[in-house]
Amino acid sequence: MPAPGTSTRPTYDAAVIGVRRWAVPVAVAAMVLAPAFGDPAADSYPLSSYPMFSADRPTRADLATVVGVTAVGETVRLSPELIAGADEPILAAATVSRSIRGGQSDRLCSEAADRMRAAGFEAVEAVVRTEHIDVVAYVADAADPLAVTVHARCPVTAAP
Amino acid sequence: MSVEEPFLRRLGLIRVLVAGYATAWTAVRAPHLLDHLDFDARRFDPVGVLAPLAGPPAGIAVIAAVAATIAFGTAATLGWRYRLTGPALAMFFLAVTTYRNSWGQIFHTENLVALHLAVLAVAPADRHWTLLPRRRPGPGRRPSARRDNDDGRSAARAGRVPVPAVTSAGRDGDDGRWAVRALAVATVAGYVVAGVAKLRNGGTAWLDGEVLVNQVAFDNARKDVLGDVMSPLAGFFVENRWLARPAVWASMAVELGAPLALLGRRAAAAWSLAAWGFHLAILVLMAIVFPYHLLGLALVPMLPLEEWTRSARPPGFLSKNHRYTATICSENPGRRVF
Repeated sequence: MPAPGTSTRPTYDAAVIGVRRWAVPVAVAAMVLAPAFGDPAADSYPLSSYPMFSADRPTRADLATVVGVTAVGETVRLSPELIAGADEPILAAATVSRSIRGGQSDRLCSEAADRMRAAGFEAVEAVVRTEHIDVVAYVADAADPLAVTVHARCPVTAAP
Repeated sequence: MSVEEPFLRRLGLIRVLVAGYATAWTAVRAPHLLDHLDFDARRFDPVGVLAPLAGPPAGIAVIAAVAATIAFGTAATLGWRYRLTGPALAMFFLAVTTYRNSWGQIFHTENLVALHLAVLAVAPADRHWTLLPRRRPGPGRRPSARRDNDDGRSAARAGRVPVPAVTSAGRDGDDGRWAVRALAVATVAGYVVAGVAKLRNGGTAWLDGEVLVNQVAFDNARKDVLGDVMSPLAGFFVENRWLARPAVWASMAVELGAPLALLGRRAAAAWSLAAWGFHLAILVLMAIVFPYHLLGLALVPMLPLEEWTRSARPPGFLSKNHRYTATICSENPGRRVF
């Protein structure tokens, strides 16, 4: 006889509770681990193959970006916000690379120029380009790019 | 009568931390999330639950989803109507973060938050640490066992006789252990997948450190080219390549050795410390922040939070008629973590 104020009526069957204790963690493990058995290059969200940092990258890399050119011809780096309208550098990198691959360099250039103009950035020209860089030398010794390929140029200053 | 419910107490704390984090993250990132509304549709590359979409969702839907995430997140953090607000938070957070990841770049920083929220959404995570009562007992109604916010000792101190035996664990037999296990497994499995990816994609070259040196150099060079801040220690690391091999083996030990954290309390604590150090190293060398992991939130399912906070008085003071039920935690809940 249960004491007053107590309940002996189970909401779940005891067997179900016992199974759940192990079945749910096992199901979660299977779900999260599944991408590890799929295409290593495939990725998704929130279940991911977590490919970041895993690729065997060459020492020399092609890095796409957008730069500004000042009135005296000096090249200045732009922020991810000016390049792609977002504050994450890897999103900016992806945006520039995809634009170049998709033949949309002129469009990206003009969008970046618009953002530079709106921000009052002191440059006369925006340039979409790929820098061929020895990344180790670049990081260790601030080495200059080995080569630069220009994809698009566009004026920043507003037309009179 | 003594009823052990350390896992329900831990779940309550995890709910506060994870839902609180998701809410704060969404609020802080809201301006940046809404920046995406100005993106050209050509950049939309949907993943996950948004994959079936042919184009970006309407702006009003994005704004509504962000607002709903913050609203439901606040409620879920407080434990208010959690059976509704918990799943709603999980759903909207998943939608918002999937949207963020659907513009050509998957960030990998919110994956675990979304998974933890999904588990918490169906877990009994509202039995403790709720600021607002789920239901106020009326005249003649027995106070709900699920409203308890204390372990019964305060009731004893106050001279009240605890109402015996109706506890969260006793009422429906759900002690929450399955959910704590599932949360811990989600954390651990993610690290294993990342470790496997390095071996699959980088091969044995990963193990001799060369791939890591090139990764650190590449990532920092890319940051600089894109006008972001490079790590000040990246150059030192790249120049002293001998550091790479021990760093690689340490990272592989953390990632592939993650399941060891499930073996017991000491293993969980040791691995958690190592995993936190791993993310600190990523921050220092690559200027990449995994906030959920660096704040330790990814690791809390494995840690006996309920014991660390045993002396803390859980909130319940907003309920004027708050009564303590006999949720008497054992003074010695044992050495098991899961």
